[in-house]
Amino acid sequence: MNLIRFIPATRKTGLAAFETELLALLPRLRRFARSLTHDGADADDLCQVTIEKALMARGSWQAGTRLDSWMYRIMRNAWIDTARARSRAAETFVAEEAGLGVGGAGNAEARVALNEVDAAMRTLPDEQREAVALVLVEGLAYKEAAEILDIPMGTLTSRLVRGRQALMARLGEAA
Amino acid sequence: MTIEPELLMAYADDALDPLTAKRVERAIAADPALAEEVVRHRRLRARLGAAYAPIADDPVPDHLATMLKTNVVQMPQRQGRPPRVSAAWRSAAAMAACLVVGLVVGRGVHQEGPVRATDQGLYAAGSLAKALDDQPSGTKGPVRIAVSFRAQDNGFCRVFQSAGADGIACRDPRGWALRRTMPGSAPGAGGGYVQAGSSDAELMAAAQDMMADMPLDAAGEKKAIASDWRAR
Repeated sequence: MNLIRFIPATRKTGLAAFETELLALLPRLRRFARSLTHDGADADDLCQVTIEKALMARGSWQAGTRLDSWMYRIMRNAWIDTARARSRAAETFVAEEAGLGVGGAGNAEARVALNEVDAAMRTLPDEQREAVALVLVEGLAYKEAAEILDIPMGTLTSRLVRGRQALMARLGEAA
Repeated sequence: MTIEPELLMAYADDALDPLTAKRVERAIAADPALAEEVVRHRRLRARLGAAYAPIADDPVPDHLATMLKTNVVQMPQRQGRPPRVSAAWRSAAAMAACLVVGLVVGRGVHQEGPVRATDQGLYAAGSLAKALDDQPSGTKGPVRIAVSFRAQDNGFCRVFQSAGADGIACRDPRGWALRRTMPGSAPGAGGGYVQAGSSDAELMAAAQDMMADMPLDAAGEKKAIASDWRAR
């Protein structure tokens, strides 16, 4: 018989430290998920898959290195997989119902602002959207974003500038 | 002197070294259009930041936090030699235990856990293995099978749901290998089940990806159960 034992999250074991640090990152990961998926329900599904993958792969994370970059990378790759699987599934399955764009935002004004930005982000190619999300929403340096996306700096800045110009055009001068 | 759009953007983001920044500043001073572009870049950054900020300020949904707050370790069997399980799989086992703890605790029955860790990966055990072995799709029970199918490697796989974990299990000579697991879709231990297929778009999409052909129909599934899921 297998014994199951609970370890309080406060105990300073390597296991609990990993989870505690990950827990503290969740708000940022949810935000990144939202800017990638531009949909509240999809964003939380993506978070769930990402946490699962992170727990599975925790052995390959080196303590002392940046957990946020590691998590952003897992999430971004999971989203590519999901999007790919979906576009294939869509060929044989009836179109899935579109997720409602319900934001986590508390008030109506904030929701409208988010919906406008979501709609503009949706029009970007994936490669531009992920660059914009990492730099403009998550506030990472160009170098960090380029490392997460595994692309040279020049590629990152050219995608970023194109994505931004498209967003500025779409969101108008009042951007 | 011309200023590349990338350079101007980097200036707007304060991402340039002081020397290059000075050079861009001189160009900006000579061209109001460049100054305007810098303002537009900064406005966009502020607008995106503000739009998404409420997401990070929101409380994290319980189901996500719970995945990390429930720290559970599955202890190895006490008698006999300890099984040789690599560190990576041990942590995978801890994670699986985290996912399935609801099933075990929720039922309040001490029996073999639903997952075992081996050098080859995670395998179904106990009640989960039994359900995968001989329960037809759609039958109600603690474990519910959503669909069975033949994978591209010709082996059989089944998508399952239970109170503790959902996933895809594929049959190989050692048993039912767990290819994917996620927290159970059933609301609460012992509660009712959501409609098959409605909850796990993610799993179904993954299954679709793995599928060689169509899902098995009732007759095909019956035949597979009778032949102990042996790949032809």
